[in-house]
Amino acid sequence: MAYSDKVLDHYNKPRNVGSLDKAKSTVGTGVVGAPECGDVMKLQIEIEGDRIVDAKFKTFGCGSAIASSSLATEWVKGKTLDEALEIRNTQIVQELSLPPVKIHCSVLAEDAIKAAIADVKTKRESDLKKESA
Amino acid sequence: MSPLFCAACSTLFAPPEDADPFALLGLEPAIAVDAGALRKELLRLQRAMHPDFFAGAADETRALAERNTAELNAAYEVLEDEVRRADWLVKRQGGPDENEERQMPQAFLMEVMEWNETLEEARGSEPSSSAREAALELGRELDTERESLVRSVAELLDPLPNTGSDVLVEARRRLNAVRYVDRALRQIEEIRLECRSSSSTS
Repeated sequence: MAYSDKVLDHYNKPRNVGSLDKAKSTVGTGVVGAPECGDVMKLQIEIEGDRIVDAKFKTFGCGSAIASSSLATEWVKGKTLDEALEIRNTQIVQELSLPPVKIHCSVLAEDAIKAAIADVKTKRESDLKKESA
Repeated sequence: MSPLFCAACSTLFAPPEDADPFALLGLEPAIAVDAGALRKELLRLQRAMHPDFFAGAADETRALAERNTAELNAAYEVLEDEVRRADWLVKRQGGPDENEERQMPQAFLMEVMEWNETLEEARGSEPSSSAREAALELGRELDTERESLVRSVAELLDPLPNTGSDVLVEARRRLNAVRYVDRALRQIEEIRLECRSSSSTS
């Protein structure tokens, strides 16, 4: 199957590969997987206030899964948490021209963003509780 | 008795709609299968419905013999593999498929990330390097993990849970875990072959 130029570009030059310090209270980590193919994707965000200032990913999977997560890290950077939650997998499909059989890769990326945001929100809430206690 | 063929009158019947692999081989749906008896029944039916046996019959009958043989073989492939058998039974009982139940615990997915990191290091590194050894060791661990996962799924499905039972969801999660394990095992096999070919050329 032929990959689109945009997929190949992200696959050959993935943006923001790597890890952030999972233990930091301002870092959110989301790990998601696709049981159909066994792909796994880790996406991390770092926030300042409400804004995402950095994002990293590590994906073990096909070219489309790598491209989807690479694109997701580019898109979330600079957005507020609420804005990042607006990102839909369909936008990723469109941007990367993913074929129907690869749509689940984009779903994975959307799920990873949501999981990372949920994680950092949980951390923030437990910090607030500690402060108020 | 298989619905595909009547032994008494040597007549072929069209496969029923939604053909059930267990029924095609004359079995009641159940996770436990007697592999020897299953194989024997397959061979018996294959012989009885063999297209060569109907070489002189009408086109329609010959086509049916071919179709039934294909259906029979496909059913056998589901039944002989304990994971595919479990997968089919979970769906039959109305349980979720791998698209409907995809949530896995974070701890498990982190573990999958770690397996992949181990394999990434092993790929392309020297034969008998510590990275290779770590990958092969991981392979042994995953073989054991797979066995215990498959065994636990078989226990969950015996007796067959009722439609809508939460047990089916749990069985699906474990079958999903097997898929992640299998992906890693396939890659370990590739690394093993890589080792062999590089040691034989040196």
